[in-house]
Amino acid sequence: MKVDPEIDELLNCFIDGELTTREQAEVQRLLAHDAKIEQRLQQLQKCKMLVGSLPAAEAPVEMAEQVKASLERRTLLGEQSLVFAERSGARHLLVRKVLAAAAMIGLVAVLATTIYTIVAPQEAPPVPVAMEGQTPPGEIEAVESRSGAMEMEFHGRLELKTSDLIAVDAFINRTIKDNSLSGAISPARQQEKSVYSLSCSREGLNLLLADLGGIWEKFDSATLFVETEVFGRPVVVDAVTAMQVAEIVNQESLQRCAEVAKDFALLNNIAQRLPGREILAAIDDRSRSLITLPKPVLTGNQKTTVKPTGHAEDKQKMHLNIVVVGGE
Amino acid sequence: MTEAANMDIHHRRASNGHINIDDVVLIEQCRQGDSVAMEHLILKYQNRIYNVILKICADPDDAAELTQETFVKIIENLNKFEGRSSFYTWAFRIAVNLTLNYCRRNVKLGFKSLDAELVQHNSQAKWLLRQFLSDDSSPDPAAVAQNKELCEIALESLMKLDDAQRAVVVLRDIEGMNYARIAEVLDIELGTVRSRLSRARSKLRQILEAIL
Repeated sequence: MKVDPEIDELLNCFIDGELTTREQAEVQRLLAHDAKIEQRLQQLQKCKMLVGSLPAAEAPVEMAEQVKASLERRTLLGEQSLVFAERSGARHLLVRKVLAAAAMIGLVAVLATTIYTIVAPQEAPPVPVAMEGQTPPGEIEAVESRSGAMEMEFHGRLELKTSDLIAVDAFINRTIKDNSLSGAISPARQQEKSVYSLSCSREGLNLLLADLGGIWEKFDSATLFVETEVFGRPVVVDAVTAMQVAEIVNQESLQRCAEVAKDFALLNNIAQRLPGREILAAIDDRSRSLITLPKPVLTGNQKTTVKPTGHAEDKQKMHLNIVVVGGE
Repeated sequence: MTEAANMDIHHRRASNGHINIDDVVLIEQCRQGDSVAMEHLILKYQNRIYNVILKICADPDDAAELTQETFVKIIENLNKFEGRSSFYTWAFRIAVNLTLNYCRRNVKLGFKSLDAELVQHNSQAKWLLRQFLSDDSSPDPAAVAQNKELCEIALESLMKLDDAQRAVVVLRDIEGMNYARIAEVLDIELGTVRSRLSRARSKLRQILEAIL
């Protein structure tokens, strides 16, 4: 028999008396007209009857006693666990207190360190005071240690060939005068050759090179010979530029000077051997005109101080022989 | 209002299952730690609760243990009972929930139903069942209850229903609760009670026919 779940549900509600009066009337109408529904109703009623007719079981007689005993047991266990909970609670509280105290101490220590760092007077760095003919006691050590690192004596020779020896000579002499290098240079005029033996500070050499850079295009060739103890023989930099010379002499040590000079020598040699050198030279000339060697200038509110003799700067001696050769 | 009239009102209320004045008094006394009242409360409900639990879980020992646990829980939580539903509904909710949770946890029931499938009924039992189910018979419920073999078949068939269906059938056909109360005990919708009960009875009919 095919069962309609909705009819089944209605019939079950009918059996259980869970229908409204209207629904009951509807079911009764269905039952009166459909024998199958009537049959289904009987089947469901028998199911209900069969389950309902199952004998009721009785609980064990000692149920009440067992419940009481169980409650007593639980109460005891509960009390024990309460005592345990209290003890563990007290322990937990103690641990928390100790941890809180440790955290507080740590915090105070950090704060104290921070405050000390901010408030505590710092040792002022020694201020160098420049005095003519005198060196302050604090200065000696600092300068000496610094000069120890910077101590170097550069020896080199710069050979410049030009077709306009007279103009170049005039320019160099004027530059020497302008840069107050008269005391540091000893010019020697020979036939078709001028030799300027320059012994000055790095700063003085830079000033001279900056000015020479302006007329560098008047030189047909420029070769720098860097004397070095490391390599035994001088490093020769052909087709050297004023900027390259400045770069070389401004290195911190003689070894670095020699290394940089070697690099430039290699670079310039490669450049000279490249095809289309004329074009490269033209480009080089144009770029050179754009890049000018920066001339050291005084900026800001700085006051010039007269450096006492025997200072660190004196230990950075630049010995450069500039040989200007005239010719076609 | 006379004392007789009061008694009548109490009786009617009690019969509707909303407020049972005895329960209210017993609960109050239990809350105050009266062990006699507690014993009265247990004795009053123990058989009904045990019977329902047994019909759901099918094992007398487990049923006894679950009944005990139910009462312990009832007494421990009496202070939380607010009286929004009747004590009877509240107590049965605890009992059925404990039992259904136990059934879900315990695979023992699964073995039981497998064992039940292996039960071979003798020809007399089958004949009795056939007679009972035949369309033209009008069996007497009292006679059915007397018949041990039919009762065994009924119990076996009941155990083949799933837990939720069995709980609805037991609460309705054994405990005699109306749909609204079943919904309250099981915490489900009234419509769910109707459909679940309908499916349970339909399945029960199929199980019984399969035995034949």
